[in-house]
Amino acid sequence: MLSYRPGETFAHRLDPRSKLCFQAGFAVAAFADTSLSWLAGVYALAALALLAGRLDPRRVVRAYWVVFLVLALGPVIAGIAVGPPWFRVEPALTSLRAVARVPPVLAVSAVYVHTTPVRGTRAAIERLVPGRAGQLLGVGTGLVVRFFPLVVSDLRRIRTAMVARGGANRPVTDRARRLAVQGIDRAMARSDRLAVALRARCFAWNPTLPALTFGRMDYPVAGIGVVLALSPLAQSAALSPLLATA
Amino acid sequence: MAQQHDSVALVGDETVEHFATAVLLAALTAALAQVSIPLPGSLPPFSLQPFGAFFAGLLLGPLWGGLALALYILVGIAGAPVFSNANAGLGYVLVGQGTGGFLVGFLLGAVVAGGIAHRQITPRSLETIGVATQVLALVAAVVVIYAVGVPWMSWALGLPVQRAAATMAPYAPFDLLKIAVAIAIVRGGYLVRE
Repeated sequence: MLSYRPGETFAHRLDPRSKLCFQAGFAVAAFADTSLSWLAGVYALAALALLAGRLDPRRVVRAYWVVFLVLALGPVIAGIAVGPPWFRVEPALTSLRAVARVPPVLAVSAVYVHTTPVRGTRAAIERLVPGRAGQLLGVGTGLVVRFFPLVVSDLRRIRTAMVARGGANRPVTDRARRLAVQGIDRAMARSDRLAVALRARCFAWNPTLPALTFGRMDYPVAGIGVVLALSPLAQSAALSPLLATA
Repeated sequence: MAQQHDSVALVGDETVEHFATAVLLAALTAALAQVSIPLPGSLPPFSLQPFGAFFAGLLLGPLWGGLALALYILVGIAGAPVFSNANAGLGYVLVGQGTGGFLVGFLLGAVVAGGIAHRQITPRSLETIGVATQVLALVAAVVVIYAVGVPWMSWALGLPVQRAAATMAPYAPFDLLKIAVAIAIVRGGYLVRE
Protein backbone atom coordinates (compact mmCIF):
# COMPACT_ATOMS: atom_id res chain seq x y z
CA MET A 1 0.00 0.00 0.00
CA LEU A 2 1.43 3.34 -1.04
CA SER A 3 1.30 6.28 1.31
CA TYR A 4 3.08 9.54 1.95
CA ARG A 5 6.66 9.25 3.12
CA PRO A 6 8.50 12.39 4.23
CA GLY A 7 11.59 13.08 2.18
CA GLU A 8 13.82 15.65 0.54
CA THR A 9 13.56 14.60 -3.09
CA PHE A 10 12.81 16.94 -5.97
CA ALA A 11 9.18 15.76 -6.06
CA HIS A 12 8.78 16.32 -2.32
CA ARG A 13 9.82 19.94 -2.69
CA LEU A 14 7.27 20.72 -5.41
CA ASP A 15 3.98 22.48 -4.74
CA PRO A 16 1.04 20.00 -4.73
CA ARG A 17 -0.75 22.18 -7.29
CA SER A 18 2.01 21.79 -9.85
CA LYS A 19 2.13 18.05 -9.17
CA LEU A 20 -1.65 17.69 -9.60
CA CYS A 21 -1.42 19.65 -12.82
CA PHE A 22 1.43 17.44 -14.08
CA GLN A 23 -0.48 14.29 -13.15
CA ALA A 24 -3.63 15.31 -14.99
CA GLY A 25 -1.67 16.51 -18.00
CA PHE A 26 0.34 13.30 -18.06
CA ALA A 27 -2.82 11.15 -18.01
CA VAL A 28 -4.25 13.12 -20.91
CA ALA A 29 -0.99 12.74 -22.85
CA ALA A 30 -0.73 9.03 -22.06
CA PHE A 31 -4.16 8.42 -23.52
CA ALA A 32 -3.67 10.69 -26.52
CA ASP A 33 -2.06 8.09 -28.77
CA THR A 34 -1.25 4.36 -28.89
CA SER A 35 1.70 4.37 -31.31
CA LEU A 36 4.80 2.58 -30.03
CA SER A 37 7.04 5.66 -30.14
CA TRP A 38 4.44 7.65 -28.18
CA LEU A 39 4.19 4.86 -25.59
CA ALA A 40 7.99 4.79 -25.29
CA GLY A 41 7.98 8.54 -24.59
CA VAL A 42 5.25 8.14 -21.97
CA TYR A 43 7.19 5.36 -20.23
CA ALA A 44 10.38 7.43 -20.28
CA LEU A 45 8.57 10.38 -18.69
CA ALA A 46 7.04 8.11 -16.03
CA ALA A 47 10.53 6.76 -15.28
CA LEU A 48 11.73 10.36 -14.79
CA ALA A 49 8.83 11.01 -12.42
CA LEU A 50 9.73 7.89 -10.41
CA LEU A 51 13.31 9.10 -10.30
CA ALA A 52 12.22 12.59 -9.16
CA GLY A 53 10.38 11.03 -6.22
CA ARG A 54 13.01 8.30 -5.64
CA LEU A 55 10.22 5.73 -5.79
CA ASP A 56 11.18 2.15 -6.59
CA PRO A 57 9.05 0.89 -9.52
CA ARG A 58 8.81 -2.47 -7.75
CA ARG A 59 6.87 -0.76 -4.97
CA VAL A 60 4.42 0.58 -7.55
CA VAL A 61 3.94 -2.93 -8.92
CA ARG A 62 3.45 -4.31 -5.41
CA ALA A 63 0.92 -1.60 -4.57
CA TYR A 64 -1.13 -2.03 -7.73
CA TRP A 65 -0.62 -5.75 -8.45
CA VAL A 66 -4.34 -6.56 -8.36
CA VAL A 67 -4.95 -3.74 -10.84
CA PHE A 68 -2.21 -5.02 -13.14
CA LEU A 69 -3.59 -8.55 -12.94
CA VAL A 70 -7.05 -7.40 -13.98
CA LEU A 71 -5.54 -5.20 -16.70
CA ALA A 72 -3.70 -8.22 -18.11
CA LEU A 73 -7.06 -9.91 -18.60
CA GLY A 74 -8.17 -7.08 -20.92
CA PRO A 75 -6.34 -8.30 -24.05
CA VAL A 76 -7.41 -11.89 -23.31
CA ILE A 77 -11.07 -10.85 -23.11
CA ALA A 78 -10.70 -8.76 -26.26
CA GLY A 79 -9.16 -11.64 -28.20
CA ILE A 80 -11.65 -14.34 -27.29
CA ALA A 81 -13.90 -15.13 -30.25
CA VAL A 82 -17.06 -17.17 -30.38
CA GLY A 83 -16.27 -19.91 -32.88
CA PRO A 84 -13.02 -20.71 -34.72
CA PRO A 85 -10.32 -19.57 -34.49
CA TRP A 86 -11.49 -18.94 -30.87
CA PHE A 87 -8.81 -16.29 -30.33
CA ARG A 88 -8.21 -13.30 -32.61
CA VAL A 89 -4.83 -11.63 -32.33
CA GLU A 90 -5.73 -8.24 -33.78
CA PRO A 91 -8.31 -7.08 -31.22
CA ALA A 92 -6.10 -8.52 -28.48
CA LEU A 93 -3.20 -6.35 -29.71
CA THR A 94 -5.43 -3.27 -29.86
CA SER A 95 -6.47 -3.89 -26.28
CA LEU A 96 -2.87 -4.60 -25.24
CA ARG A 97 -1.81 -1.20 -26.57
CA ALA A 98 -4.69 0.47 -24.70
CA VAL A 99 -3.84 -1.37 -21.49
CA ALA A 100 -0.13 -0.57 -21.83
CA ARG A 101 -0.95 3.12 -21.33
CA VAL A 102 -2.21 2.49 -17.80
CA PRO A 103 0.94 1.52 -15.80
CA PRO A 104 2.77 4.84 -16.39
CA VAL A 105 -0.33 6.80 -15.33
CA LEU A 106 -0.53 4.73 -12.15
CA ALA A 107 3.21 5.18 -11.57
CA VAL A 108 2.96 8.98 -11.80
CA SER A 109 0.03 9.10 -9.39
CA ALA A 110 1.95 6.77 -7.08
CA VAL A 111 4.79 9.33 -7.05
CA TYR A 112 2.26 12.02 -6.11
CA VAL A 113 0.82 9.93 -3.27
CA HIS A 114 4.34 9.04 -2.12
CA THR A 115 5.57 12.64 -2.02
CA THR A 116 2.53 14.71 -0.99
CA PRO A 117 0.99 14.80 2.49
CA VAL A 118 -2.81 14.85 2.56
CA ARG A 119 -2.78 18.34 4.06
CA GLY A 120 -0.81 19.49 0.99
CA THR A 121 -3.58 18.22 -1.29
CA ARG A 122 -6.15 19.81 1.01
CA ALA A 123 -4.42 23.17 0.76
CA ALA A 124 -4.20 22.78 -3.01
CA ILE A 125 -7.95 22.05 -3.25
CA GLU A 126 -8.79 25.11 -1.14
CA ARG A 127 -6.68 27.31 -3.37
CA LEU A 128 -7.69 25.76 -6.68
CA VAL A 129 -11.46 25.58 -6.15
CA PRO A 130 -12.72 29.12 -5.63
CA GLY A 131 -15.05 30.33 -2.91
CA ARG A 132 -17.05 28.38 -0.38
CA ALA A 133 -17.10 25.18 -2.44
CA GLY A 134 -13.32 25.05 -2.24
CA GLN A 135 -13.36 25.63 1.50
CA LEU A 136 -15.90 22.89 2.14
CA LEU A 137 -14.00 20.46 -0.12
CA GLY A 138 -10.73 21.31 1.63
CA VAL A 139 -12.01 20.99 5.18
CA GLY A 140 -14.07 17.94 4.16
CA THR A 141 -11.03 16.15 2.72
CA GLY A 142 -9.19 16.52 6.02
CA LEU A 143 -12.21 15.33 8.01
CA VAL A 144 -12.89 12.30 5.79
CA VAL A 145 -9.28 11.16 6.17
CA ARG A 146 -9.76 11.49 9.93
CA PHE A 147 -13.05 9.57 10.04
CA PHE A 148 -12.27 6.83 7.48
CA PRO A 149 -10.41 4.50 9.91
CA LEU A 150 -13.11 4.99 12.56
CA VAL A 151 -15.92 4.05 10.20
CA VAL A 152 -13.95 1.03 8.92
CA SER A 153 -13.50 -0.19 12.49
CA ASP A 154 -17.23 0.44 13.13
CA LEU A 155 -18.11 -1.80 10.18
CA ARG A 156 -15.60 -4.50 11.20
CA ARG A 157 -17.03 -4.47 14.73
CA ILE A 158 -20.57 -4.87 13.38
CA ARG A 159 -19.48 -7.74 11.17
CA THR A 160 -17.66 -9.47 14.03
CA ALA A 161 -20.68 -9.05 16.31
CA MET A 162 -22.89 -10.51 13.59
CA VAL A 163 -20.63 -13.56 13.14
CA ALA A 164 -20.37 -14.04 16.92
CA ARG A 165 -24.17 -14.33 17.07
CA GLY A 166 -24.33 -16.95 14.33
CA GLY A 167 -25.02 -14.35 11.65
CA ALA A 168 -22.81 -16.21 9.17
CA ASN A 169 -25.70 -18.65 8.68
CA ARG A 170 -28.14 -15.91 7.66
CA PRO A 171 -28.82 -15.28 3.95
CA VAL A 172 -26.40 -12.79 2.38
CA THR A 173 -29.12 -10.18 1.72
CA ASP A 174 -30.02 -10.23 5.39
CA ARG A 175 -26.38 -9.81 6.42
CA ALA A 176 -25.89 -7.01 3.91
CA ARG A 177 -28.99 -5.22 5.18
CA ARG A 178 -27.89 -5.47 8.81
CA LEU A 179 -24.36 -4.33 8.03
CA ALA A 180 -25.62 -1.38 5.97
CA VAL A 181 -28.27 -0.29 8.47
CA GLN A 182 -25.96 -0.54 11.46
CA GLY A 183 -23.18 1.13 9.51
CA ILE A 184 -25.35 4.08 8.52
CA ASP A 185 -26.70 4.37 12.07
CA ARG A 186 -23.23 4.70 13.53
CA ALA A 187 -22.10 7.04 10.77
CA MET A 188 -25.12 9.28 11.40
CA ALA A 189 -24.44 9.32 15.14
CA ARG A 190 -20.87 10.37 14.39
CA SER A 191 -22.07 13.06 11.98
CA ASP A 192 -24.39 14.51 14.65
CA ARG A 193 -21.48 14.75 17.05
CA LEU A 194 -19.26 16.23 14.33
CA ALA A 195 -21.87 18.90 13.52
CA VAL A 196 -22.09 19.87 17.21
CA ALA A 197 -18.31 19.94 17.46
CA LEU A 198 -17.97 22.12 14.35
CA ARG A 199 -20.56 24.59 15.64
CA ALA A 200 -18.98 24.64 19.08
CA ARG A 201 -15.71 25.64 17.41
CA CYS A 202 -17.32 28.46 15.40
CA PHE A 203 -16.91 26.77 12.02
CA ALA A 204 -16.71 29.85 9.81
CA TRP A 205 -16.39 30.76 6.16
CA ASN A 206 -13.63 33.21 7.04
CA PRO A 207 -11.73 31.67 9.90
CA THR A 208 -9.21 34.07 11.42
CA LEU A 209 -6.52 33.42 13.92
CA PRO A 210 -7.12 35.24 17.21
CA ALA A 211 -5.48 38.70 17.19
CA LEU A 212 -2.37 38.70 19.34
CA THR A 213 -1.57 41.64 21.65
CA PHE A 214 1.16 42.00 24.27
CA GLY A 215 -0.18 42.45 27.82
CA ARG A 216 1.69 43.96 30.80
CA MET A 217 3.14 40.67 32.00
CA ASP A 218 4.25 39.68 28.54
CA TYR A 219 7.10 42.24 28.47
CA PRO A 220 9.07 40.95 31.49
CA VAL A 221 8.52 37.35 30.46
CA ALA A 222 9.78 38.11 26.95
CA GLY A 223 12.66 40.16 28.48
CA ILE A 224 13.71 37.20 30.61
CA GLY A 225 13.58 35.03 27.54
CA VAL A 226 15.92 37.37 25.63
CA VAL A 227 18.31 37.57 28.57
CA LEU A 228 18.37 33.80 28.88
CA ALA A 229 19.05 33.51 25.18
CA LEU A 230 21.99 35.91 25.43
CA SER A 231 23.38 34.39 28.62
CA PRO A 232 25.96 32.13 26.97
CA LEU A 233 27.54 35.24 25.35
CA ALA A 234 27.78 37.06 28.69
CA GLN A 235 29.23 33.98 30.30
CA SER A 236 31.98 33.60 27.74
CA ALA A 237 32.72 37.37 27.96
CA ALA A 238 33.11 37.06 31.74
CA LEU A 239 35.29 34.03 31.44
CA SER A 240 37.57 35.29 28.68
CA PRO A 241 39.84 37.53 30.93
CA LEU A 242 40.25 34.61 33.32
CA LEU A 243 41.14 32.32 30.43
CA ALA A 244 43.60 34.89 29.09
CA THR A 245 45.47 35.10 32.41
CA ALA A 246 45.51 31.35 32.86
CA MET B 1 1.37 39.64 9.59
CA ALA B 2 -1.75 40.35 7.48
CA GLN B 3 -4.95 40.26 9.49
CA GLN B 4 -8.56 40.14 8.46
CA HIS B 5 -10.86 42.55 10.24
CA ASP B 6 -14.20 41.55 8.68
CA SER B 7 -16.82 40.07 10.99
CA VAL B 8 -16.77 36.30 11.26
CA ALA B 9 -19.20 34.69 8.80
CA LEU B 10 -20.30 31.57 10.64
CA VAL B 11 -21.38 28.65 8.51
CA GLY B 12 -25.17 28.26 8.90
CA ASP B 13 -26.47 25.52 11.20
CA GLU B 14 -28.22 23.67 8.39
CA THR B 15 -25.12 23.80 6.19
CA VAL B 16 -22.96 22.47 9.02
CA GLU B 17 -25.35 19.57 9.50
CA HIS B 18 -25.46 18.65 5.81
CA PHE B 19 -21.71 19.06 5.57
CA ALA B 20 -21.05 16.81 8.58
CA THR B 21 -23.39 14.17 7.13
CA ALA B 22 -21.63 14.40 3.76
CA VAL B 23 -18.25 13.90 5.47
CA LEU B 24 -19.46 10.81 7.29
CA LEU B 25 -21.16 9.38 4.21
CA ALA B 26 -17.91 9.86 2.28
CA ALA B 27 -16.10 7.99 5.05
CA LEU B 28 -18.82 5.31 5.02
CA THR B 29 -18.49 4.88 1.24
CA ALA B 30 -14.74 4.47 1.71
CA ALA B 31 -15.27 1.98 4.53
CA LEU B 32 -17.86 -0.02 2.60
CA ALA B 33 -15.29 -0.41 -0.19
CA GLN B 34 -12.96 -2.15 2.27
CA VAL B 35 -15.39 -4.31 4.20
CA SER B 36 -17.22 -6.99 2.24
CA ILE B 37 -19.26 -10.06 3.11
CA PRO B 38 -17.43 -13.26 2.12
CA LEU B 39 -19.53 -15.59 0.00
CA PRO B 40 -19.13 -19.37 -0.04
CA GLY B 41 -17.07 -21.13 -2.72
CA SER B 42 -15.22 -19.20 -5.38
CA LEU B 43 -17.78 -16.39 -5.59
CA PRO B 44 -16.33 -12.88 -5.28
CA PRO B 45 -16.96 -11.19 -1.91
CA PHE B 46 -20.21 -9.22 -1.70
CA SER B 47 -19.16 -5.56 -1.64
CA LEU B 48 -21.51 -2.91 -0.31
CA GLN B 49 -19.73 0.01 -1.96
CA PRO B 50 -22.67 1.28 -4.10
CA PHE B 51 -24.64 1.74 -0.88
CA GLY B 52 -22.52 4.81 -0.17
CA ALA B 53 -23.85 6.43 -3.35
CA PHE B 54 -27.42 5.25 -2.64
CA PHE B 55 -27.47 6.62 0.91
CA ALA B 56 -25.75 9.86 -0.07
CA GLY B 57 -28.36 10.57 -2.76
CA LEU B 58 -31.35 9.56 -0.63
CA LEU B 59 -30.30 11.25 2.60
CA LEU B 60 -28.65 14.38 1.28
CA GLY B 61 -30.17 15.24 -2.10
CA PRO B 62 -28.28 16.09 -5.28
CA LEU B 63 -25.96 18.83 -4.01
CA TRP B 64 -24.79 17.46 -0.68
CA GLY B 65 -24.93 13.86 -1.86
CA GLY B 66 -22.71 14.86 -4.76
CA LEU B 67 -20.36 16.61 -2.33
CA ALA B 68 -20.12 13.41 -0.26
CA LEU B 69 -19.02 11.34 -3.26
CA ALA B 70 -16.75 14.14 -4.52
CA LEU B 71 -15.04 14.13 -1.11
CA TYR B 72 -14.63 10.36 -1.36
CA ILE B 73 -12.90 10.65 -4.74
CA LEU B 74 -10.76 13.62 -3.64
CA VAL B 75 -9.55 11.80 -0.54
CA GLY B 76 -8.53 8.89 -2.77
CA ILE B 77 -6.67 11.27 -5.08
CA ALA B 78 -4.97 12.78 -2.03
CA GLY B 79 -3.57 9.33 -1.27
CA ALA B 80 -5.79 7.78 1.42
CA PRO B 81 -6.35 4.09 0.57
CA VAL B 82 -10.12 4.43 0.15
CA PHE B 83 -10.79 2.70 -3.16
CA SER B 84 -11.41 -1.05 -3.26
CA ASN B 85 -8.39 -3.20 -2.32
CA ALA B 86 -6.98 -0.15 -0.49
CA ASN B 87 -6.00 1.58 -3.74
CA ALA B 88 -5.43 5.32 -4.10
CA GLY B 89 -4.31 7.96 -6.57
CA LEU B 90 -5.59 10.00 -9.49
CA GLY B 91 -4.38 7.29 -11.87
CA TYR B 92 -6.74 4.80 -10.24
CA VAL B 93 -9.71 7.14 -10.67
CA LEU B 94 -8.90 7.82 -14.30
CA VAL B 95 -8.08 4.32 -15.45
CA GLY B 96 -7.44 1.92 -12.58
CA GLN B 97 -8.32 -1.60 -13.61
CA GLY B 98 -10.75 -0.15 -16.11
CA THR B 99 -13.16 0.48 -13.25
CA GLY B 100 -12.38 4.15 -12.64
CA GLY B 101 -15.55 5.09 -14.48
CA PHE B 102 -17.60 3.37 -11.81
CA LEU B 103 -16.18 5.75 -9.19
CA VAL B 104 -17.27 8.72 -11.29
CA GLY B 105 -20.53 6.81 -11.88
CA PHE B 106 -21.11 6.66 -8.11
CA LEU B 107 -20.79 10.44 -7.95
CA LEU B 108 -23.24 11.02 -10.81
CA GLY B 109 -25.49 8.23 -9.49
CA ALA B 110 -25.73 9.96 -6.11
CA VAL B 111 -26.57 13.25 -7.81
CA VAL B 112 -29.26 11.62 -9.98
CA ALA B 113 -30.74 9.62 -7.08
CA GLY B 114 -30.82 12.77 -4.95
CA GLY B 115 -32.38 14.77 -7.76
CA ILE B 116 -35.14 12.22 -8.35
CA ALA B 117 -35.89 11.69 -4.66
CA HIS B 118 -35.78 15.29 -3.46
CA ARG B 119 -36.46 17.32 -6.63
CA GLN B 120 -34.73 20.31 -5.01
CA ILE B 121 -31.28 21.24 -3.80
CA THR B 122 -32.08 21.22 -0.07
CA PRO B 123 -32.78 17.70 1.13
CA ARG B 124 -36.29 16.97 2.39
CA SER B 125 -37.20 14.53 5.14
CA LEU B 126 -37.43 11.01 3.71
CA GLU B 127 -40.79 10.64 5.46
CA THR B 128 -42.32 13.01 2.92
CA ILE B 129 -40.97 11.07 -0.07
CA GLY B 130 -42.91 8.04 -1.29
CA VAL B 131 -41.24 4.63 -1.25
CA ALA B 132 -41.88 4.26 -4.99
CA THR B 133 -39.94 7.48 -5.69
CA GLN B 134 -37.06 6.30 -3.54
CA VAL B 135 -36.94 2.95 -5.33
CA LEU B 136 -37.00 4.74 -8.68
CA ALA B 137 -34.10 6.91 -7.48
CA LEU B 138 -32.06 3.83 -6.56
CA VAL B 139 -32.70 2.08 -9.87
CA ALA B 140 -31.79 5.27 -11.75
CA ALA B 141 -28.56 5.50 -9.74
CA VAL B 142 -27.56 1.96 -10.77
CA VAL B 143 -28.40 2.68 -14.41
CA VAL B 144 -26.22 5.82 -14.30
CA ILE B 145 -23.35 3.95 -12.62
CA TYR B 146 -23.33 1.37 -15.42
CA ALA B 147 -23.94 3.95 -18.16
CA VAL B 148 -20.76 5.76 -17.09
CA GLY B 149 -18.71 2.76 -15.98
CA VAL B 150 -19.06 0.44 -18.96
CA PRO B 151 -18.13 2.86 -21.81
CA TRP B 152 -15.30 4.19 -19.61
CA MET B 153 -14.04 0.64 -19.17
CA SER B 154 -14.21 0.00 -22.90
CA TRP B 155 -12.13 3.15 -23.46
CA ALA B 156 -9.55 2.36 -20.78
CA LEU B 157 -9.04 -1.27 -21.76
CA GLY B 158 -9.43 -0.81 -25.52
CA LEU B 159 -12.38 -3.20 -25.64
CA PRO B 160 -15.50 -2.89 -27.79
CA VAL B 161 -18.40 -1.60 -25.64
CA GLN B 162 -20.32 -4.88 -25.99
CA ARG B 163 -17.27 -6.81 -24.77
CA ALA B 164 -16.89 -4.50 -21.78
CA ALA B 165 -20.59 -4.92 -21.01
CA ALA B 166 -20.20 -8.71 -21.23
CA THR B 167 -17.25 -8.52 -18.79
CA MET B 168 -19.40 -6.66 -16.27
CA ALA B 169 -22.47 -8.84 -16.85
CA PRO B 170 -21.57 -11.45 -14.17
CA TYR B 171 -21.73 -8.66 -11.58
CA ALA B 172 -25.26 -7.62 -12.60
CA PRO B 173 -27.05 -10.24 -10.45
CA PHE B 174 -25.11 -9.00 -7.42
CA ASP B 175 -26.14 -5.44 -8.22
CA LEU B 176 -29.77 -6.52 -8.52
CA LEU B 177 -29.36 -8.13 -5.11
CA LYS B 178 -27.92 -4.85 -3.80
CA ILE B 179 -30.90 -2.94 -5.15
CA ALA B 180 -33.17 -5.47 -3.40
CA VAL B 181 -31.31 -4.95 -0.12
CA ALA B 182 -31.40 -1.16 -0.54
CA ILE B 183 -35.14 -1.29 -1.26
CA ALA B 184 -35.65 -3.41 1.87
CA ILE B 185 -33.79 -0.76 3.85
CA VAL B 186 -35.90 2.03 2.34
CA ARG B 187 -39.19 0.15 2.86
CA GLY B 188 -38.22 -0.72 6.42
CA GLY B 189 -37.93 3.01 7.10
CA TYR B 190 -34.38 2.58 8.43
CA LEU B 191 -33.19 5.75 6.73
CA VAL B 192 -35.88 8.06 8.15
CA ARG B 193 -34.35 10.32 10.74
CA GLU B 194 -35.89 12.66 13.26
